[in-house]
Amino acid sequence: MERGAVVRDVDAIISKALTRRNFMVGAGSAAALSAVGCSKTFQPMTVPTNPTPALTDVDYLNFALNLEYLEASYYLIAATGSGLSAADAGSGAGAVTGGSMVPFTSSIQQEYAYEIAQDELNHVRFLRSALGSSAVPAPAIDLVNSFNGAAMAAGIGSTFNPFASFDAFIVGAFVFEDVGVTAYNGAAPLLSSTTYLGAAAGIMAVEAYHAAEIRTLLLQAGSTYVGYANQISALRATLGGGNETMLSATTVVACDSANAIAYSRTTSQVLSIVYASPDGNVVSGGFFPNGLNGNIKSTAA
Amino acid sequence: MATTETQILDDVIAASRRRMIMMSGTALAGLVLGNAPKASAQTTLTDTDYLNFALNLEYLEAEFYTLASTGQTIDQIGIGIGAGTAATGGGTVTVKPTGPASCKVPFTIAAVSSYATEIASEEQKHVTFLRGALGASAVAQPNLDLYNSFNAAAAAAGIGPAFDPFASDVNFLLGSYIFEDVGVTAYHGAAGLLTSKTNLGAAAGILAVEAYHAGLIRTVLWGLDQATPSAGIAAATVKISNLRAALDGTNNDDVGLTTVQDALNGTTANYTASTIVNADSNTIAFSRTTQQVLNIVYASASGMKGGFFPNGLNGNIS
Repeated sequence: MERGAVVRDVDAIISKALTRRNFMVGAGSAAALSAVGCSKTFQPMTVPTNPTPALTDVDYLNFALNLEYLEASYYLIAATGSGLSAADAGSGAGAVTGGSMVPFTSSIQQEYAYEIAQDELNHVRFLRSALGSSAVPAPAIDLVNSFNGAAMAAGIGSTFNPFASFDAFIVGAFVFEDVGVTAYNGAAPLLSSTTYLGAAAGIMAVEAYHAAEIRTLLLQAGSTYVGYANQISALRATLGGGNETMLSATTVVACDSANAIAYSRTTSQVLSIVYASPDGNVVSGGFFPNGLNGNIKSTAA
Repeated sequence: MATTETQILDDVIAASRRRMIMMSGTALAGLVLGNAPKASAQTTLTDTDYLNFALNLEYLEAEFYTLASTGQTIDQIGIGIGAGTAATGGGTVTVKPTGPASCKVPFTIAAVSSYATEIASEEQKHVTFLRGALGASAVAQPNLDLYNSFNAAAAAAGIGPAFDPFASDVNFLLGSYIFEDVGVTAYHGAAGLLTSKTNLGAAAGILAVEAYHAGLIRTVLWGLDQATPSAGIAAATVKISNLRAALDGTNNDDVGLTTVQDALNGTTANYTASTIVNADSNTIAFSRTTQQVLNIVYASASGMKGGFFPNGLNGNIS
């Protein structure tokens, strides 16, 4: 037989085998799912079940989407007096408590606020689009008791209104931005799709731009506001496993002092910060009075 | 005959292996036409190659910031620049004729001086970290040019016939501006190519720090521009961004400091916003391929060695 023909024939056989193998993989998955379904209904004792289903890219993206809803709501209200549109918040979205337009005193203040508000809104829209029908709606968000509680816990005072002035607004922004960086940094290696990884890395970079901007503006605002920021930083360190760099003129970047690599946090550490609780198995609180929407909503046991 | 059979078997194995990897008919098409390569002629790039690519860029950044803040090169302050773990044996740094000491910027803004010192320290740590991670595989510092490169870049960008980034606070910030956003796009582009999750985590963490630097530099430049609009600071950043976008061939992946009109949660784009963040229409940071990054640091749209790296990068990506 002519050499090319032999190769062709054998390759056709291999192709069939590969196709069959793919089919079997798919069928196996379906069978496994079916078995899990059966086990729940009929054979709970004999078929091992997984109490914590493996998290998927969709879960991590929805986790990020919850954080983006929070940031977008904060910045949009600060910039315009109103938050996400119904279309951007999704069907069944929770209510937002509090917030009002910041009394800006210069155009440059407005330019900063408008830019970040648009950026975070774009992140909401991008993630909702990437997730499609799997996107969770915005959860209930509290922008009053959350900040008051954080101020109390951080030792700043009994209340804190981040919408009262531009300087207060950037302190409020400080609460979020570095956390966003650590959250995306922690999630990036967990994503299986390189497309999503690329997007997550790109959003993380933007959060780092924001974080640096806010930290730089705080330094310009003066020692009072740097002091507030560092009290919040200390609180976040308590709740979120350390991973903080005190802000000063010589330490603008938040990164580990040995290698100058940005910190990363687990989803549980991020939840502890946004729920404002150091405890395990916490599913709501702080900025999210009813918890996050989606499969990642509980701090670790 | 045995030889022929062996060759046929080799071809079959090669074809099936490729199919299993690629799950595509492309390899088979080549085989049937009788021109299937016996072995891969092109070296597949590894994590080591990408980390060494990053190390070249970190050498450049570390030298720039260290000279600006101390008037010394990184080897003078004890950082290794040789191949592998060797402290010495790296390339030279070309600076202005008055020498390295004259590169210490005569800062008049205390905050900018502090920022220079901080960023120098962080870029030095990136060099040391990557050299440690690469171990014996670390490439030496290539020859660097921080003199002719900036002059040529300024001319190409339309800023002027010469540009000394070590002359003043603003010039230092503009020099920094040239690097930082590029670092972000380079790490962003490489992140998805790394196979090791450990390397990916480190690269993502360094990416974030480069973005912090870029955000810091851009915020300071924007503030100075708004305080003194006649200085043309923001206009210079737009020219630099446009040059980078032209060099990488896209003409649309770099945003200078300016204002844009945003709609926010309304329907009319009538909110005047700054552009501190350098990102695309989804507000996702831009990403560049290694070739696009090379075009920028070589200052050549065709990728010819030059610019900041007169003899090219060291390593397999050059």
